[in-house]
Amino acid sequence: MTITRRDVLLGATATAALVPLAARGQTSEVVIGVIYPFSGGSAQQGVDAQKAYETALEVINKKTDFDLPLAKGEGLPGLGGAKVRLVFADHQADPQKGRAEAERLITQEKVCAIIGTYQSAVAVTVSQICERYQVPFVSADNSSPSLHRRGLKYYFRAAPHDEMYSAAMFDFFDAMKKKGTKIETLSLFHEDTIFGTDSGKAQAKIAGERGYKILTDIKYRANSPSLSAEVQQLKSANADVLMPSSYTTDGILLVKTMAELGYKPNAIVAQDAGFSEKALYDAVGDKLEGVISRGTFSLDLAQKRPMVGKINDMFKARSGKDLNDLTSRQFMGLIILADAISRAKSTDGEKIRDALAATDIPGEQTIMPWKRVKFDEMGQNNDADPVLLQYRGGKFVTMFPPQAAIAEATWPMK
Amino acid sequence: MTAQAIIQSLASGLLMGLLYGLIAVGLALIFGLMDVVNFAHGEFLMIAMYVSFFLFTFFAIDPLLSAPLVAAALFVLGAVVYLLVVRFAMRAKANAGMVQIFSTFGLAIVMRGLAQFFFTPDYRSIPQSWLGGKTISVAGIFLPEPQLIGALVSILAFGGLYFFIHRTDFGRALEATREDPGAVALVGIDKNRVFALGWGLGAALVGLAGAIMAVFFYIYPDVGASFALIAYVTVALGGFGSVFGAFAGGIIVGLVEAVTALVLPPSLKSVGIYAVYLLVVFIRPRGLFGSM
Repeated sequence: MTITRRDVLLGATATAALVPLAARGQTSEVVIGVIYPFSGGSAQQGVDAQKAYETALEVINKKTDFDLPLAKGEGLPGLGGAKVRLVFADHQADPQKGRAEAERLITQEKVCAIIGTYQSAVAVTVSQICERYQVPFVSADNSSPSLHRRGLKYYFRAAPHDEMYSAAMFDFFDAMKKKGTKIETLSLFHEDTIFGTDSGKAQAKIAGERGYKILTDIKYRANSPSLSAEVQQLKSANADVLMPSSYTTDGILLVKTMAELGYKPNAIVAQDAGFSEKALYDAVGDKLEGVISRGTFSLDLAQKRPMVGKINDMFKARSGKDLNDLTSRQFMGLIILADAISRAKSTDGEKIRDALAATDIPGEQTIMPWKRVKFDEMGQNNDADPVLLQYRGGKFVTMFPPQAAIAEATWPMK
Repeated sequence: MTAQAIIQSLASGLLMGLLYGLIAVGLALIFGLMDVVNFAHGEFLMIAMYVSFFLFTFFAIDPLLSAPLVAAALFVLGAVVYLLVVRFAMRAKANAGMVQIFSTFGLAIVMRGLAQFFFTPDYRSIPQSWLGGKTISVAGIFLPEPQLIGALVSILAFGGLYFFIHRTDFGRALEATREDPGAVALVGIDKNRVFALGWGLGAALVGLAGAIMAVFFYIYPDVGASFALIAYVTVALGGFGSVFGAFAGGIIVGLVEAVTALVLPPSLKSVGIYAVYLLVVFIRPRGLFGSM
């Protein structure tokens, strides 16, 4: 544990300094930049992400028998078996630091691609720098829809965005209504950075189109010392469904404050983020029996695809945690990126970009419940089907869409 | 907006405000004593929360019981910080103010880094404690027990501090040192001892706040930052150098925050705090109860 922590803090700079310059120039090694928050409020996400990337790195660099791109051989076959090396950089959840670190990775560390970033707000600046230097950027786990709509040529996202997720939530509501469940009113509760704002907008838009009434739409300040005024408003509105879009800290405080103020909604359908985090369930899981969160990943898939379970074991050995919605996307993101670099047979940015654009991986060759990985002209994979998971008896169970479900939803949640 | 919602908001704001006051009093005490702003104040709070968390996790001591222990531990930490860091920073001949700012600011960063190194950045919380999750409901108004006890402790701690400063020999020595640090040596008061005591007391007060907050707040290395910012505003609002002002300032900040969140979108609730602060500074630059 201590060693890896040190790796996080010192690894990026130290390894770069120790590796002789000559070695870095050769293509026996392909360097990819990984930008995450390794300090500050979201540092845990960065630490977990690092474990996910190291797991993917092991699959890429070593011989395994998984049915994933690059898993069977050692290194990148398109580059004569060159090994991938990761350089980790800390953006501290600050878009400006993200920008500076991206620039440093490209100009100093000579990375041929960058992957990141957890916070969508940071992905905005990092992807702009990548665009300027013509270095591909893979957005592994950012979910803001506005990210891929900026017409960037070097931006790619294999995972769904919040409009796709939100649409899945409303598909689910529609299906529940058909069965006779009363779902008419909603309370939106989202934080005030790009993630929460985009998520709230997407949900408000779809709710309007499909005839759901929004009783209250609360945009709150991220990392507030207190959420009692906000929860008070949610409680007064008392909608059929509460839909939070919060990171972990605010999610914990929200659930605690709800309990303190005696507010128990019929159902919570969450936009992932904090609500897919182990830390949140460790803290307040007893109050969240039956909470529903969207996701792109479900450990249930291991029943159909055994390699999902094996990769989860590899990840768990490193981190002590099961793969979740975020770490699974990070794992897949690096596999997809490395596969493109191998097919590009080059570390040239433009060639990698073209290889990424030509990506076509069938869903079975991923650890996700996706149809396939194929990017549209905006760099978005529209075949990444989201799933809805329900938290029951200490774990998540897939209950929507029907083709991925292994159980019916419990509604109301209590 | 119902009357109940308004009363609920005001009650929540008052409970939170008393806690803000408790956090700010320690900061005001140190500033009043020696004109040093402790930029590591939020980190003291963070350490207190971790101490409380570990006492609960490893020894199953309820945070309510461990609060005095945490306060004592923080007292030692505060005194040590004074003796090892601040004392030397105070000796700076040139740019003394800057040296003090950067030494406590640097200390804050070091403490945060160490916390992340040793405790990992994971979010912790105390799941089952005597008070955790319990709430008293009076006529539809919910008063969470941890915050109620926090408010009570806050009032008692402030009362105790007030008594200590005004009624004991050490308190008088504190006041005297604050009036004229040079002259007290003539009557045999050891300035360094008094300053160390002041730092210890200030840290112990924020330690109490941290121990109680550990029950209802999440704990991670950066947790102090948002509270520290409020504490600085609280001290400035209440008046630099006034312990009473800091306490009153805390209550005002809590109430203003709650009222702002009622009438404006919640994402703007801290705007209210800063607006009131600006107004106070505009009318009374030394703060509401400031004496300087």
